[in-house]
Amino acid sequence: MSCEPWSGRRQAIVLIDGNNFYASCEAVLDPAVLGRPLVVLSNNDGCIVSRSAEARALGIRMGQPYFQVRRELERQGVVVRSSNYALYADMSQRLMATLEPWVEALEIYSIDEAFGQLSRPADQRSLHDWGRRLRHHVLCQLGLPVAIGIGPSKVLAKLANRLAKTTARATGVFDLGSMDDPDPHLAAVAIEDVWGIGRQLSRWCRLRGVADAKALRDMPSGELRRRCGVVGLRLQQELRGMACLPLETLPAAKRETCVSRSFSQPITSQSELREAVATYLSRAAEKLRRQQQRAGAITVFVRSNPFNGTSFYSNSATVSLPLASNDTAVLLQAALPLLAVLFSPHKPLHKAGVLLQQLQGEETLQHNLLLPLPLKQQHRRTALMATIDQLNRHYGSGTVQWAAAGMQTPWRMRRSRLSGAATTRLDAIPVVRA
Amino acid sequence: MPGSASLSAQLIRCHASTVLLRVSGESMQAAGIDHGDLLIVDRGLEPRPGQIVVACLDGCFTLKRLVAHQGRLRLEAAHPAYPPLELDCFDGARIWAVALHVVRTLKAP
Repeated sequence: MSCEPWSGRRQAIVLIDGNNFYASCEAVLDPAVLGRPLVVLSNNDGCIVSRSAEARALGIRMGQPYFQVRRELERQGVVVRSSNYALYADMSQRLMATLEPWVEALEIYSIDEAFGQLSRPADQRSLHDWGRRLRHHVLCQLGLPVAIGIGPSKVLAKLANRLAKTTARATGVFDLGSMDDPDPHLAAVAIEDVWGIGRQLSRWCRLRGVADAKALRDMPSGELRRRCGVVGLRLQQELRGMACLPLETLPAAKRETCVSRSFSQPITSQSELREAVATYLSRAAEKLRRQQQRAGAITVFVRSNPFNGTSFYSNSATVSLPLASNDTAVLLQAALPLLAVLFSPHKPLHKAGVLLQQLQGEETLQHNLLLPLPLKQQHRRTALMATIDQLNRHYGSGTVQWAAAGMQTPWRMRRSRLSGAATTRLDAIPVVRA
Repeated sequence: MPGSASLSAQLIRCHASTVLLRVSGESMQAAGIDHGDLLIVDRGLEPRPGQIVVACLDGCFTLKRLVAHQGRLRLEAAHPAYPPLELDCFDGARIWAVALHVVRTLKAP
């Protein structure tokens, strides 16, 4: 394994992530909620997935079902919002663009976190000041609070990021790499909170008396290797300050694309199921075209509600396409017949989804002799798809859609408390009083 | 397309910190900003006296000119009917962004 040792290393890895990202995004363009307790709900307004600092201070917990705490939230004057993914995606792009010039390489890890790589100054000085300046810059530019963890490896940067939030004196920035003695800090992080340690592995560790990050770092490598192979070993090396996990600056080509949703009310007719699946498939096809890929197979899956006591029903069916495609009409034609197999009149359905598989790059098709349409007609189809995607991007998803997706859709996701498209649609931008 | 003029390159200094706002009200008419105009503001600039700024006052975005008056900062309208607002008098008031451009759609007479 080619891992660089900690001592004398000049390369630093940073992990930057948004604090309560969804809740923070909701407050950025809405001065009326700034500084007030605010929570964001999951799909179908199910449970609490993000809380502002003020909401945390009230003792509101993560994951609480909305219907259970609705009254209490109202009583405490908490602002409640449905998930507004268009807004979060836009703010995420702004965040990543702002971080880019501050590091030598950036890996966008999720919607609200990114790894960065930079060189430590020759005198091994702390990067704490650099972190504080970056944090201030992001707050001024975007109004988003972030936490910054710095260390010699990804695992330690992630750990430092956690310490940046939990250590009282850290004020959002923590540099593990410049510390003479990082051991007390490593010992303060519970084994369950180490990046890459799942529930099963943490139980195994605890049984062996390994209860924190420091103990994991110092346990015999052979034992760890026997239990979880090279993955565990790499994790331990990373904890010892040797960078083994490289920065992935180019996203790997996606092998599958999935779109699925729970219904706001159970679906009991095949025509409703047809509309829902057609909607998801249109969305998935749009994703494919954006990724410049085609699908070779489609799987449609459905299931009933596993929580309401009646007998659970779950089923799926797959169809292979003779020729890979990202044309919505072609995909609909192939997938909709599957519903006759999947639908059962006595099983109310709670969720459905489509999975596009065997994805391949768009360019691979050009040399195929099996082209279903003459080349000229093929180009016209491509232009049509591009136009539809553009209209939906500019005027809101669903502006132009296939009739199969339905016009009145009671099953559609419940988002009763959605904020406006403040940054993505001109007719929804915030008002300034003059 | 090289050589074709891009409006957004002209009007947007930094995409990440630029926000569009819709103007409501007449208090900035004399400064050339009217009701219904589209405003391009930048959050990443340090506000300086003399600039037209967006402030957060009592939970609303407010558009006024930032003015240094007798050693204190205040917000002035460009309209005789609106008295100046002393920044110190508002709890938690802060300057949110600097206004850079106005976009107005012309209506047929």
